Amino acid sequence: MSLDRVCRLTGLGGVALFFATAFTPLAHALTLWMAVEPQLVPSDAIVVLGATVSPSGILSSESTRRTDHAIDLYHRGLAPRLILLGGARDSGAIEAEIRAKLARLHSIPADAILTESRARTTREEAARVRDLARSRGIRTVLLVTNSGHMARARPLFERAGFEVHPAPSDTYFEPTAPEARLMLMRGLLQEVLGWIYYRIAGYA
Amino acid sequence: MIGIFMLALAGLTSVGAYLLGARRLGLPPARLGAAVGKTLETVGAVLIFLVANLVVAVPLVVALRAVTGTFVSVYVTDDTAWLGLSLLQGLAFQWWREASRKKAGALALEERGNLG
Repeated sequence: MSLDRVCRLTGLGGVALFFATAFTPLAHALTLWMAVEPQLVPSDAIVVLGATVSPSGILSSESTRRTDHAIDLYHRGLAPRLILLGGARDSGAIEAEIRAKLARLHSIPADAILTESRARTTREEAARVRDLARSRGIRTVLLVTNSGHMARARPLFERAGFEVHPAPSDTYFEPTAPEARLMLMRGLLQEVLGWIYYRIAGYA
Repeated sequence: MIGIFMLALAGLTSVGAYLLGARRLGLPPARLGAAVGKTLETVGAVLIFLVANLVVAVPLVVALRAVTGTFVSVYVTDDTAWLGLSLLQGLAFQWWREASRKKAGALALEERGNLG
């Protein structure tokens, strides 16, 4: 096959994907298809995986969504402890600490909250939580992250010795603006590529 | 609704550009198909550069971590700027090929003229 033909076919595929993503509900349909069924059963702890925080201490929407979901799970009495993760970007505010502050504002006692801010990857998060949990007898966890990330995170926490109950933080909000749809597809592709990377590297 | 508005507007400006090209600039409508084909080729070249950049970036990040001992996130691949860089690479590559074709075509014509 000539280079011209390869380029033309790739371009055709790219343009078709662009139109299908921006102008149809494809990204939302894929999100629903990839959605993980929640298993909201009583557990030893709720583990909230890190997302991002601005250097000035503003949680990203993803980080806020995960934290809010975990606070709700705690108030529903599903676990007595909250393990909040997340480091700092550019030596600024620490995500886990901001989340802990938010949890305390929602009447969660300080002694029910554990934070971990040194992990930089999902794999490191699983290892750090294992270290935190060992001395506290935590064996079963409600894992809070979005569905796309859950596919990669769950096996890591299971390998770390936990019985994992997924508690996805997805809102399943259907975007209608083309830009929002493209952003949703970008997030999905990012998670799929992350999952492939973890599979190749032998992490998951 | 926003999507329909955008598509309708882009359709309208495309029709306007077609009329301008065909009636005012004297562009042959029959060559429009070839132009669309060239556009797809260029988009394809941009996408190939994008994939190549991202595929090379991951092992490079892993190697950098190993060599320097400092943490570099794989999320470095998750940046819109890659698309801009790949766009420039793809365009330059396609125009390079196009210029080479034109040069080859001109040389062939010159040769034919010399023979005649």
